[in-house]
Amino acid sequence: MDLSEANITKQVSKDDAGEGSMARELIKINFCGSTPLLWRTEDLKAARELGFVGTLVGSLARQPRQNTRLGRPLELLLEEGRLMADMERAAVSGLDSKSEDPEVSPAVVEQYYAGLENSFQEQSALALEDRKMTLTRVLTEKQKAMSVQLCTARAGLAHCPQERQFLTADWPMPQDERCKCRFQVFKDLRRRGFYLTSAGKFGGDYLVYPGDPLRFHAHFIAVCVSMDESMPLCDVLAIARLGSNVKKTVLLCSSGESQDDEREEVVYTSLQWSGMA
Amino acid sequence: MADQNKTAEVKSSNELLSPSELFEARTRSHKIPVRGQKDFLPSGSDQQRERLQQSLQEHWKLVSEERVERLGNLVKAVWIPSDQRVELLSPAGKFWQTMGFSAHGKQCLHPEEALYLMECGNLQVFYKDLPLSIQEGYETFLCSKTMSIHHYKVFGHLKRLGYVVTRFDPSRVPSQYERQLNLAQSRERPGRRLKRKRSLSPPSGHTETQEGATAMGTEEERDGNREEEDMNPMPEDTNPKLKDTNPKPENIHPKPEDTNPDDTQMAAQDDPSTTAEGCRSWWSKGGSPHPDLPGQSQNTGSPRWDFTSISFPDLGSRHQHPRSLASPDPCLLPGAVGSVGPCDVVPWLNRLNLREVRMSRREQERERDRDRYHRDVNLDREVQRCRNWTEYRDLLERRSRRRHRDRPAHLWEGEVTPLHDPSQVCLTGELMDKISVVKSTQLFEGASSLKCSNEWRISFNIYQPDTVAEFKKSTPGKPYSRMCVCSFSGPVPDLQTLKVLAFQSGDVPVTYAVEDHGDISFYCFKNFQIPKDESF
Repeated sequence: MDLSEANITKQVSKDDAGEGSMARELIKINFCGSTPLLWRTEDLKAARELGFVGTLVGSLARQPRQNTRLGRPLELLLEEGRLMADMERAAVSGLDSKSEDPEVSPAVVEQYYAGLENSFQEQSALALEDRKMTLTRVLTEKQKAMSVQLCTARAGLAHCPQERQFLTADWPMPQDERCKCRFQVFKDLRRRGFYLTSAGKFGGDYLVYPGDPLRFHAHFIAVCVSMDESMPLCDVLAIARLGSNVKKTVLLCSSGESQDDEREEVVYTSLQWSGMA
Repeated sequence: MADQNKTAEVKSSNELLSPSELFEARTRSHKIPVRGQKDFLPSGSDQQRERLQQSLQEHWKLVSEERVERLGNLVKAVWIPSDQRVELLSPAGKFWQTMGFSAHGKQCLHPEEALYLMECGNLQVFYKDLPLSIQEGYETFLCSKTMSIHHYKVFGHLKRLGYVVTRFDPSRVPSQYERQLNLAQSRERPGRRLKRKRSLSPPSGHTETQEGATAMGTEEERDGNREEEDMNPMPEDTNPKLKDTNPKPENIHPKPEDTNPDDTQMAAQDDPSTTAEGCRSWWSKGGSPHPDLPGQSQNTGSPRWDFTSISFPDLGSRHQHPRSLASPDPCLLPGAVGSVGPCDVVPWLNRLNLREVRMSRREQERERDRDRYHRDVNLDREVQRCRNWTEYRDLLERRSRRRHRDRPAHLWEGEVTPLHDPSQVCLTGELMDKISVVKSTQLFEGASSLKCSNEWRISFNIYQPDTVAEFKKSTPGKPYSRMCVCSFSGPVPDLQTLKVLAFQSGDVPVTYAVEDHGDISFYCFKNFQIPKDESF
């Protein structure tokens, strides 16, 4: 099996602070278009340990034809990916658009089919051991009775263009004011220990959880607004109404003026609907 | 380039299963555990931590599971990048009923359909003789602008719910005219031509009464004689056959068994007194201003009949029942028919419904009320003085102008005039329309002339899940809706976009699927009519 890709993956993270000399793998972020995705389970686990939750957007392998629980890939917020890269815990891995599809040597194809045959033999042997009569008969006769894996993540079989790792400075993100504000807010909330997911369906930018979203409900809807721009009153009312309907507090977040060498301040205003009885 | 000799230092940076793991996977459960209740605040308690660990473990177990399928259950296919399609190498399964298309004699799938089937574990797509992983599928199949990952997420979401989702093709939307004619079904079936039934005109089975009786002129005969028929503005009640005395009898006699001895027209055709030019000598009689019609051109003015002297029997009158009608003036009959003798009216009367209408008391009252103000227009002396329709219409116009002379000049002569003249009778609804300055508009108004921007386009046709059993790709029928994919980070569709897409979609509503990090919301815009209050 051609594992050349393993070499790209196995880059040691420089930031070993407090972790001893344990080498940590960099999380591989793959872009599909302009959407950052994580494909390997260990990358998902590592991201979650860092506090980056993301959203699963693929079919679940066990039950593909339902929408309640989805499977890999994990889609990251652009802010999540960028922060991970800034923390030097992740690197963008993408296809080199300039390289053409490599010619596949017949040896590789042979290797693949040899692997299949080998698997077949082993499975037949296991079936024999298992002594299930029908299974044995079928499995030892035809290869089509054997089980094969449909890989989720790239298996590195060298028939697709090789992956390259990009420098983190090349993080493909639009650099307009709104994105900068969003990123600052994200960084700050993350620093304070909150878990964040996207809040498009709540009319905001982020849903803020006190702990892992698997176990806790969100407390806040974070809406990023520019510090200088005034917000029309009806917009304030609308978002406050919405928040009260879903039992969450609305947070208006603005990132302060960026000053050299000083950490940017993020200012929060919470809106809660209260009656006057 | 990577050094292919280096072996992997890590246990398995890929997630390949060993043969024994593959074997074990056969007995995997297919159930998804239900998620428990969430807590409100993290309390730092052990119990909470444990539950979190449990949830996480369960979560990773589900997420890390790889797809394992029986090799025989997998349909094999190959990716053809030049055509952007996936060609099947082994026969398609059940999915063929709602997905896929034929090209170059092979079964093919669109990239998004292939990717969905890969995710369902039904399809294995090969490229350069090696199978593609799901990741490679995403990265290879979803690169175009028409089928990006956003479109695929909407596609997958709807397919998983059971809908039939196909690509939108603007050229296959039936036009409004086709819809009016209900041609939608036949349009979907190319190659089946509608044959126009050709039938010979049935013969005139009616026996005619004598002269001038209201036309039983059959359509078919008119058709048959169309080339010869002239546009002479004769009164409608003459049988066109009588007009067209063309000496070509084969046009007129479609069936030999049609011999109606009473049919005077037949005799007319063979009448030697008719000339080649279709002369009409028989209906010009003394007193007509153009006595010599033979040879005259067809488009002269209508000869004047003196209706005061031609008696048209009123067989429907309740009061007089003549037992028989006298023979008409021979000069009114065609050719040399001569006198036809009196006509016995009784058999004709039997065919008329001469029963008195029995009106209930209320109906009688209603009739009386209606007639109370009824002025017989024929008694109007000015109307009697009109000799033809043109003069009558002039009279009506003069009268209406007179009526309108009593409009105050300061109101009606300036640039700005009132919206309504109160002396004119008007229904409340019409009045409301007149004085409403702001007109309501429909979504389709003006849509045909608008140009679509490149940003917005309809991507899919959606058919409901319960139609899957009878769904036919060749005649899918009218979709339930059409989908346009957008996101919260982009602009809201403006009115121009709404109009253009609604128009493109014909009579199928357009739904906007807003996709945001896996969450999909659906919006649609509908016409709304403010109800009019016409109670006052």
